[in-house]
Amino acid sequence: MQPQETVERFGYRQELRRGIGLADMVFYGLIFMVPIAPFAIFGEVYRVSKGMPALAYLIGMVALLFTAASYAQMVRAFPLSGSVYSYAGRGIAPPVGFMTGWAILLDYILAPTLLYLMASIAMNATVPAVPVWIWLIIFVIVNTVINLRGIRMTVSLTKMMIVVELVVLALFIMVGLWAITQGKGHGFSLDPLFNSDRFSMSLVFGAVSFAVLSFLGFDGISMLAEESKGGSTQVAKAMRLALLLAGVLFITQVWVAALLVPDPAALLSGEDNGTAFYDIAAIAGGDWLSNLTSVATAVSWGLANTLVAQVGVSRLLYAMARDRQLPAFLAKISVKHSVPANATLFVAALSVVLGVWMANIEDGANLLVSLISMGALIAFIVLHVSVIVHYLVRQRSTDLWSHLVMPLIGMAILIYVVINASILAQWLGLIWLGIGALILVILYAMGRRPNLSGFAQQGSTPTS
Amino acid sequence: MNRLPLHQELYLIAHDDDGKALIQRPSLRLGLAGAVLLDLTLSGRLSVTQGQLAVYDRTPIGDTVADSLIPAILNDRANRDLKIWIKQIAEDIYDRTCGSLIAAGVLTKVNKRRLGMLAQTRYQPVNTTAAVRARAGVRAAADRREEPDAHCAALCGLVGVLHLESVLYIDQPSSQLIGRLRTIAGEYSRSVQEIVATVDLLIGEAAVAVYR
Repeated sequence: MQPQETVERFGYRQELRRGIGLADMVFYGLIFMVPIAPFAIFGEVYRVSKGMPALAYLIGMVALLFTAASYAQMVRAFPLSGSVYSYAGRGIAPPVGFMTGWAILLDYILAPTLLYLMASIAMNATVPAVPVWIWLIIFVIVNTVINLRGIRMTVSLTKMMIVVELVVLALFIMVGLWAITQGKGHGFSLDPLFNSDRFSMSLVFGAVSFAVLSFLGFDGISMLAEESKGGSTQVAKAMRLALLLAGVLFITQVWVAALLVPDPAALLSGEDNGTAFYDIAAIAGGDWLSNLTSVATAVSWGLANTLVAQVGVSRLLYAMARDRQLPAFLAKISVKHSVPANATLFVAALSVVLGVWMANIEDGANLLVSLISMGALIAFIVLHVSVIVHYLVRQRSTDLWSHLVMPLIGMAILIYVVINASILAQWLGLIWLGIGALILVILYAMGRRPNLSGFAQQGSTPTS
Repeated sequence: MNRLPLHQELYLIAHDDDGKALIQRPSLRLGLAGAVLLDLTLSGRLSVTQGQLAVYDRTPIGDTVADSLIPAILNDRANRDLKIWIKQIAEDIYDRTCGSLIAAGVLTKVNKRRLGMLAQTRYQPVNTTAAVRARAGVRAAADRREEPDAHCAALCGLVGVLHLESVLYIDQPSSQLIGRLRTIAGEYSRSVQEIVATVDLLIGEAAVAVYR
């Protein structure tokens, strides 16, 4: 039996037209991840990895390849266009699904704020006369209008954006390598990947919690599960390919950039590192490359990525609100424009408030990065548990490699990353989970037990 | 004058006198697809039980769009799911309904130029009689002036889920009016309720789709 034929077993039908091929899925994952994502956070990754950003990205990629493997298992078991929220809910139990959805919500709901903030910082680097908070409000307004008008990514627009981003990246790498051969920077070395003087496990894994941010979005490919031409097998392959491609691109660009850092000691001390990459681009190629990379960051984070991130958060808010696990107004849509208007406006309002606040506090962007990564890491850990519970405990699987060893390795890496993340991020993550647990208790007290749409519990009928 | 099929009435309600759609196509297409299935259900050709279609009678009902559906459903034995059929029908229902209204002489093709330059084609009502008649039935039912029949009740349900209540010009808050329209549909057969509810659900899913 083909995996995609099994949708009906879960009270669902194969509903969306299966029309998206492997390449388009990989492109979607890449546009979600942003191939030039490290441009915006290079300075901080360089600082926390003690000058080994390539290693941080390499470990991040390996950790998330295990996560992708667990996604593949859950998509195979439940071939639905869902997120980790529905996989944990179905793989373990609806209350766990709620808590996982709550954890990933931290990632999804804060991602637009971070995207707007990074895009605004990038634009501020190009046009310093306009402060970051004004750029942020402009980005929020432009995106909200686009979203409320029902304009969203199309397959061809995704390809076009990817091509533009890759051209900018190729330019930076070529000019950067040329600059190194001309004697700028410190010459070629393996230091960005491994520097024995500075290396320590806890330090690098702490940096991974930052680098992981750039890979977030590969899981967005699972939203296309029902539209996949090749079913769940293709989804799994697309996730792996997108992660590997993004990993290679990230490692290459941070390696080149790290070799060109003008004053490593100053950057390691964390002094004003928000524009570190653009400063490096200026050294390598001049102001034109600095402006090009900062504008490309602004457009790719502030427009292309926010369009797909908005869809991701809207889907999650809509799904959880429709399952009566979040306030009902979040599930309300505008029929006139065929958009989730309330969810869009809610995220826009939140982005303005949080974005302006974070723009005006020290380390605001880094705090957002920590929170987003923390939410995703917790959700991914539960995803690994879901594979073990669903396959090994429930299905009595004998495939110990895929259903026990792989998830355990993936889980162990992620737990180690969480342990080594900043203390503030850990506390805030715990507080967020505590609020989630409190809401869960209230839901139970109100007789609104978490129940996923179409999720047939024993003795009950599927809900719509 | 014979009553128009539900999908044609809904098309007219969802467009202004210049032929401009009042809501976006993804939502409207789903509503029109539900309307065709309701036409077949109300004429006793089809029923819906727990999301599954069942054909009872293959006799044509005299509407080319709806009549072409029965053989298609019968041929696809493996697939009787209401949601899948609404999505499949929705793919070309807008053009087919528009074409059937042109063939019936209700709409006419008008070529215009926007800003004197950009060519634009609209399908305008030849006169407003059919649209006014379609709206009047829903309005009378919503106003509680007339007891709706099954056809009108189904149309009320679709107008409600498509949020087209503004065309009724009833001085009531939107949410209250939509609630009333949906209640009217809910008072009729199980099949009508299921089709209207499924259209509502699919409109929500279309609004959060990754790609249109």
